[in-house]
Amino acid sequence: MDNLSNSSGSTGNSANDRRHSSDHNSTTHTSPMDIDGAPAPIAAPARVVPPHQEVKIIHRDINTYVGFANLPKQWHRKSIRRGFNFNLLCVGQSGLGKSTLINTLFNKDIYDLHQSEIGEDDFVSNEEEEEDNDRVKIDTISTTIEENGVELNLTVIEAPGFGDFIDNTNSWEPIIDEINSRFDQYLDSENKIDRSNIIHEDNRIHACLYFIEPTGHNLKALDLKFMEMIHTKCNLIPIISKSDILDDNEIFEFKNVIKQQLLENNIEYFKPPTYAVDDSESIAMTEQLYDLIPYAIVGGEQGTRSRSYPWGIIEVDNPQHCDFVFLRDVLIKNFMEELREKTNTVLYENYRSNKLKSLGIKQDNSVFREYDPELKELEDKKLHEAKLAKLETEMKTVFQQKVSEKEKKLQKSESELFQRHKEMKDKLTKQLKALEEKKHQLEMSLANQVSNSPVQSKKKGFLR
Amino acid sequence: MTPHLDSTNSQNINLDSTEVGISNLPNQRYKIVSDQGGIFNLMVCGESGVGKSTFINTLFQTTLEPLDPHKYRNGPIKKTVHIDIIRAILKEKNFKLRLNIIDTPGFADNINNNKSWQPIIEFIDEQHESYMRQEQQPLRDIKFDLRIHAVLYFIRPTGHSLKPIDIETMKRISTRANLIPIIAKSDTLTKNELIKFKNRIRQIIETQQIRIFTPPLEYDGDLNPKQNTNTPNELGEDNQDSKAPNTSDVNAAAIEHARQLIESMPFAIISSENQFQTEDGRNIIGRKYPWGVVEVENDEHCDFRKLRSLLLRTNLLDLILNTEELHYEAYRKLKLEKKENGDENGSDEMSKYKRTISNNPKFKEEEIALKKYFTEQVKAEEQRFRQWEQNIVNERVRLNADLEDIQKKVGKLEDQIKALQLKKR
Repeated sequence: MDNLSNSSGSTGNSANDRRHSSDHNSTTHTSPMDIDGAPAPIAAPARVVPPHQEVKIIHRDINTYVGFANLPKQWHRKSIRRGFNFNLLCVGQSGLGKSTLINTLFNKDIYDLHQSEIGEDDFVSNEEEEEDNDRVKIDTISTTIEENGVELNLTVIEAPGFGDFIDNTNSWEPIIDEINSRFDQYLDSENKIDRSNIIHEDNRIHACLYFIEPTGHNLKALDLKFMEMIHTKCNLIPIISKSDILDDNEIFEFKNVIKQQLLENNIEYFKPPTYAVDDSESIAMTEQLYDLIPYAIVGGEQGTRSRSYPWGIIEVDNPQHCDFVFLRDVLIKNFMEELREKTNTVLYENYRSNKLKSLGIKQDNSVFREYDPELKELEDKKLHEAKLAKLETEMKTVFQQKVSEKEKKLQKSESELFQRHKEMKDKLTKQLKALEEKKHQLEMSLANQVSNSPVQSKKKGFLR
Repeated sequence: MTPHLDSTNSQNINLDSTEVGISNLPNQRYKIVSDQGGIFNLMVCGESGVGKSTFINTLFQTTLEPLDPHKYRNGPIKKTVHIDIIRAILKEKNFKLRLNIIDTPGFADNINNNKSWQPIIEFIDEQHESYMRQEQQPLRDIKFDLRIHAVLYFIRPTGHSLKPIDIETMKRISTRANLIPIIAKSDTLTKNELIKFKNRIRQIIETQQIRIFTPPLEYDGDLNPKQNTNTPNELGEDNQDSKAPNTSDVNAAAIEHARQLIESMPFAIISSENQFQTEDGRNIIGRKYPWGVVEVENDEHCDFRKLRSLLLRTNLLDLILNTEELHYEAYRKLKLEKKENGDENGSDEMSKYKRTISNNPKFKEEEIALKKYFTEQVKAEEQRFRQWEQNIVNERVRLNADLEDIQKKVGKLEDQIKALQLKKR
């Protein structure tokens, strides 16, 4: 039993990161979601339950240098050569500093801030323009960032117009559609016959930064609704933007209110995992990273990493001024790969299995099992016996058919023989009878002739 | 208020501000892989007595395959090739490796070894098939993965050439998995003999178009510092993808290392589980002869270290990725294309039958017995029919005689009548 669970736990190791049985980070998604109104509840994580098989597994600790422990190092190098990719979704109403934050996070002018600044200054006309379209749009921007020989292909997906209308009913739909269609696209390429490009085709959304307005009160209905819709499909990281409007106490209070509201609505946000190799210090730090969510963020001023006010300068990178560095730790520095892992192994898998089930594809759990030569022999034997039985009935049928054909033929010729004989015998017997009759008559007439004529008497006399 | 959280980096905040953290991504991958552990499925293939078990135990420096002297020598010779799996979880420096050693006892041990590669080929294909089916399920959070990452093909150190069965088997393996041919028990060959033998094998491999696994000419993994003392004189074009100045040196050394590995193929191997002390006082793993001590881990004596590097220390990941991304994908592609062309349903069951028959002589015997039974039945029936036919013939003769009797009577009567008629006149 122990061995078996061990074995299945460690089967997940692979090139495409597709089979990571992530016991440590699946915890964020294990609570069932059957609260009323939850639109797409995460089905209580269904698991494959393999048949019970007794399998002997040898356990050994090796103290000398064998070398397989180099595998993570080999992955390290390989990952540099292959490069990294990340797709980040940013959602929040306009004017919350999304573009500024992205530029500051990646230390690169991904967004042309002059343009967007004009947009923000010209807020009224901007709003009118978007009201004309009457629908949230999806904007995508891609770039490559390199740091010390490590390359990241980054795609930022934005939803301009979200939260900016008078009636924002269903304004989350284009965003959900976008996430789903990216999952669908991946599912398609996974099912393709030739999928040599799949490692380069991952367009799934790996994380969503949700920008909360620094009201200091509580989450609005739209905030809650959106996060409720999205958290089962995407690693959610809520942040309080432009938090310089709130003082330390207000931020503390606001964070608590938000967390309480999320908890009440069963909305889960990304929980950075801890590793078996972590020491207690890094475990404490990871836990703190989780506790600090939603991060209170201040973006830099015009391409700088600070904001200056008459009463002081806010340093973006100063953890005492805001949570920027913590956000960066979670999003990039320490858990970006983990966000991808979780997208791949939990969120995408959930989406995929629901989708396939809705398409009527049935689960066949019999394929999940350890290879067992004896079992295979047994199956082979069954197969063989079935084949033999089939062969036997086939041969029997043919045999019986042939026999009965032959029997019929013989019976027929037999009966024909008798029939013919009978016919001929009848005919001959008739002939015989007729002849006998004729003879008799002839004899009779001859006898009469003799008695009626002298010749006859003469003859009689002669005969005497 | 809160301490800076970056545990991997104790630099000051100023430096951090320009560093986005992307350069830490490979470390994240490292951590994830370290946490997950690995899985390695290694198949050993070769006739009995070439030292497969000893090699495995030497490679992993622990006894995984108990060396049972009665296993082959006194035991009944099995008629068929079997598949044996040794499953293990090994831990080295806290890294967990799920290791499956797949052995094929019985291979090439018979008088007629025609098609004795078939169970091996079938096993490799079956594992791909099984993985594919698991992957297609809506729920697939655990998978049983026995896809073979490497096949070690043990060549007997005859010093002559490869046997036809070696060629046929290696050909078939090489299209399905990473094939690594090795010369077993190479301490029976002198240096010159070994060079000649290796060359001949290489020639055959080339002319027969057997694809053997070669490490990619790129840096991949941790190199033993002792191994890259050779000054890199060739800076291949492969190192342009490494940006940092000091990696290009490492890279060149790695390329050199890979080149050396390729040049030494097929690796000549000596295995041993015994430790000795040499005259100069070193503790070594090796074999002791009256004429000297063979050191397993001495590049002058054999290629064990190179093979270990290829299998574990530098190219384990290449073996795994090659299997998953090339061999498995090739199998899957073939299978799906077949399905698309529709030759799946009808013929599938038949091919299953075919496989079973060719596999198991006992099954074949049973089939022959069944056929024989029916042949006898047919014979018995035929005998009955012949008798019957004979009876009919006899009956016909009897009846004809009967008819003739009457016919005679008729004739007689006719004669009498004729006579009477004459008389009447």
